[in-house]
Amino acid sequence: MTAIAAKPSASEGINPVASVIGIVIIIAAVAIAAVFANFALAALIGVIIGGLLIGFGVHFVPVGGAPAAMGQSPGIATGVAMLAAGAGLAGLFGGAWAAANPAFGIAIVIAAGAIGGGLLMAVTCLMVNIVYIFGMGIPAASGKVAKDPITGDSQAEYKSQGTEGHGLPFISYVGGVIGGMLGGAGGTLIYYELLQVYAAKLPELFSATAADVLPVAVSLAGIFAVGMFLMNAVLAAYNITGTIEGPHDPKFKRFPRAVIGCAVASAVAGLFAVLIVVV
Amino acid sequence: MESVLLGIGVTALAGALATVAGAAEDTESNIGSQGDPNSQVQLAPQMGYIHRIYNKAVSGEPPAYGLWVTISAGVAWAFMITGMNPVLAIVIASALAVFVQGVYATTAYLGRTASLSKFEQPVYIDVIKSVTTVTMAHAFVAIFTTVAMCYLLVAALGHPFPLPLLGIVWGIALGAAGSATGNPFYGKERQYQTQNFGAGVPISASGNIVRYAEAGQRSSLDNGWFTAKLGGPASGVCFGLIVFLELWRTVLFESVAGGWGAIIAGVVIILIFMIIDRYIEVWARKNYGPYVKAEEASA
Repeated sequence: MTAIAAKPSASEGINPVASVIGIVIIIAAVAIAAVFANFALAALIGVIIGGLLIGFGVHFVPVGGAPAAMGQSPGIATGVAMLAAGAGLAGLFGGAWAAANPAFGIAIVIAAGAIGGGLLMAVTCLMVNIVYIFGMGIPAASGKVAKDPITGDSQAEYKSQGTEGHGLPFISYVGGVIGGMLGGAGGTLIYYELLQVYAAKLPELFSATAADVLPVAVSLAGIFAVGMFLMNAVLAAYNITGTIEGPHDPKFKRFPRAVIGCAVASAVAGLFAVLIVVV
Repeated sequence: MESVLLGIGVTALAGALATVAGAAEDTESNIGSQGDPNSQVQLAPQMGYIHRIYNKAVSGEPPAYGLWVTISAGVAWAFMITGMNPVLAIVIASALAVFVQGVYATTAYLGRTASLSKFEQPVYIDVIKSVTTVTMAHAFVAIFTTVAMCYLLVAALGHPFPLPLLGIVWGIALGAAGSATGNPFYGKERQYQTQNFGAGVPISASGNIVRYAEAGQRSSLDNGWFTAKLGGPASGVCFGLIVFLELWRTVLFESVAGGWGAIIAGVVIILIFMIIDRYIEVWARKNYGPYVKAEEASA
């Protein structure tokens, strides 16, 4: 068997041994937090959920990379991790703004983050289609499905010869918005949970008032949220390997592996993030 | 009411700055061939097509712009702490960040082009001299406007993130929006002008980029001139709309319905964009029609 022939079977499905090891690492991280930083146990679980939301969300984002820039494949002409990070960070911007308002609960903060990420993707996906349609004269066509699962539009006859499709069919557009919303919600959840921990613990650590240390808490939580966002987005991008059209793409089915991987990575990174306030 | 009016004014100004930033970012990346189509510039000499296109893509635009904007935002923040006037601080910090971009551009071009020496692709010293300064000028506009926008968000709208953190967030978002919107126009419409308009580039044509301009060999400055007509403005509108709508819905509706007002406004905006997208998708299918074979078209 050649390496090329072996590749597709090796890249699908879940590796049971690796998954069990991953789950053991998650349990270990939670147990360490329960012993040394019991006050941050709920926050760590929130961080893990945020991480897997990001990893799941990245799989919805239609990304075509360099081939999309030539109209050779559908999707947005940039990298998976970068686009998902852009959307998620825009969501984090909105979520952090809402979190600064003491009147707002966690539901509003997370929703604000989700809508921020979804808005970036909605605008970007529309402008991508405008450039394809009015700048290059190309209608949207998918190479992965015969019919758009939402609109029922047939795809094959609108595809240029010698390409895998081009532009953003409606299902990819909707997938992009959902991916942006999940990413924004996940990033904001990480930020919000860490902010609660830092805002509660930093005043006694620095022997200062809560108002004085709030900018430090916001900055620390923000930096960790950005870092964990990029970490989870890159992990999911490795799972996707190259391009993906959205939820209708066969590669979308790989998401369970990314969800486990992102949960493990977020558990370890989240543990360090909460332990820095334990002296 | 007065604070809402001030917020709307700041929102409009931030949106305008973001629009300029997006347009400058895309034009800069096209002149430097940093967007995703750069793989074709890298591939061309291997297919036997020697060219004079600049190629500085080492990482994608989002991390590169994240770096430059954050450097500028961080330095400006440090200057402001020492009591410097904010406008002066942002100008000087942006100039310093642009030197980092210039070093990056030069080393990236030399490194990537030198790696193609086995395919007889030369390093053109005149290309380094002429193109690097032009990308630096465009990068300055993009960085300055983005950091100025971030400063407005902190100073006038009271966002809790410090300036350097906002630099990371909006620098990466700027690169993501610019590379997503502008790259197809540069990749398909500029690099492959020999291919039919109204069709994607066949995979078999990869690497066969257009290398000659109206007068002599094409350089990357021609690419900036061409893509500044549509790809740049489209990227600018994209990033400007993102920033404007994100701020506008928050400033105006945050106090409505206990905080849910801004979220409902966001959902409505997303639905409106979705409807517009569906409309133009159907419009394109109706007006361009399905692809037909050449002989059928001429019959």
